[in-house]
Amino acid sequence: MHILTELFENFGVDWPKFLAQTILFLIVYLVLRRFAFASVINMLEERRRRIEEGQLNAEKIKKQLAEAELRYEEVLRKAHADSKALIEEARAAAEASTNKELQRAIKDAELIIIHAKEAIIIDRQRMIEEVKRDMISLVVATTEKVAGKVLNADDQQRLNKAAAAVLAS
Amino acid sequence: MLLFTLATTVPIEAEPILAKLHGLFGLLSSMTNSILVSMILVVLLVTWAQRATRRMELIPGKAQNFFELIVEGLYEFFEGIVGHHMIAKSFSLLATLFLYIVAANWFGLLPGVGSIGWKEHGELIPLLRPTTADMNTTIGLAIVFMAFWIVWTLREVGLVFFLKHLFGVKGGVKGFMAVALMPIFFFVGIIEVVSILIRPVSLSLRLFGNVFAGENLLTTMMSLGHTLHFPDWLAHLSSVLLPIPFYFLELLIGVLQAFVFALLCAVYLNLSTSHDEEEAEQH
Repeated sequence: MHILTELFENFGVDWPKFLAQTILFLIVYLVLRRFAFASVINMLEERRRRIEEGQLNAEKIKKQLAEAELRYEEVLRKAHADSKALIEEARAAAEASTNKELQRAIKDAELIIIHAKEAIIIDRQRMIEEVKRDMISLVVATTEKVAGKVLNADDQQRLNKAAAAVLAS
Repeated sequence: MLLFTLATTVPIEAEPILAKLHGLFGLLSSMTNSILVSMILVVLLVTWAQRATRRMELIPGKAQNFFELIVEGLYEFFEGIVGHHMIAKSFSLLATLFLYIVAANWFGLLPGVGSIGWKEHGELIPLLRPTTADMNTTIGLAIVFMAFWIVWTLREVGLVFFLKHLFGVKGGVKGFMAVALMPIFFFVGIIEVVSILIRPVSLSLRLFGNVFAGENLLTTMMSLGHTLHFPDWLAHLSSVLLPIPFYFLELLIGVLQAFVFALLCAVYLNLSTSHDEEEAEQH
């Protein structure tokens, strides 16, 4: 202890100076601790917390993005399958419609042909009738001219029958 | 003889600068040039910290960014030594010790410090003296730390564990061997107590010695031309040129000594508050 006291005395250590220096250091310590370090450490902590939050959010967003991509692919795959089914359906419907139209067209054509045939038959009959009538008129007129007399109703009827029989054969 | 003269270029005690005051102002007669420098440092450090942290923002400005850079760097460094459980308590003191010592050491390198003053009885009384070149400061810093060290240690580990840690049988030895080794470990404990008591002295003497030696070195280099009786023009030229390399050395030593002081404090704290041994025994 004596050695220490002597050592301190030799180095000029005495109470007032020692206390003054100690108090001055303690002032710096207390002020920095209260007003500087606390706020800086809080700020660093706040920043660290925000960075961690940001990282967590980034992770979350990344996860959400991956999920969204999966969903998007799923929707795309479903849409693709749906569109394929729709195309198939449309193709089948179109084929069915085409067949139906074709059948109807064939039927229509057949009907037209039948009607045409009927019309032809009717026209033919009508024309034959007209020809017959004309022929009978011609026969009657020719006969009147050849015979040089006007045929009466009986003659005309008889001549008509004879001409009609010839024409029918 | 020449070397002895050179080695005592700067007086070992800080010089009183208001020694002539009496009466009501007599209290101020203890005011030394190193206390004046300490007061300037208090103002400088507090102003700097206050300016840097006046408007704290998440995206910092230049001053805040620089202050945060230092604080964050020191925080991580000390946390690595004292551990996560002690850093919240001890960071402010360790960081203040480091900043205060760096500021004090570098302040001593400013032109005029130690060289501007007045003459009394043919001796120069400098107005300013590096505060860490005064043993009152360094012993004050060491004793403040040791006071906090005792409080934190006892709060952290308790008196029983602390005494057990000092005097107890270590290494997990049990039974007869433990009883046999008790006297040895008790003796080791006494040595440990002595080493703890010596810590303030070793911390303060190391810092004081380095800074005081640096001051002597610079003063010696400045006055070397005159001491060796060079011609006036050469003495003036050498007083400017010769100290330049040593200024760079002192810049380095200034930060290195602050680092060593704070590092040793952190290590002492870690040694006394570490729970490793306790945990090891429980396992």
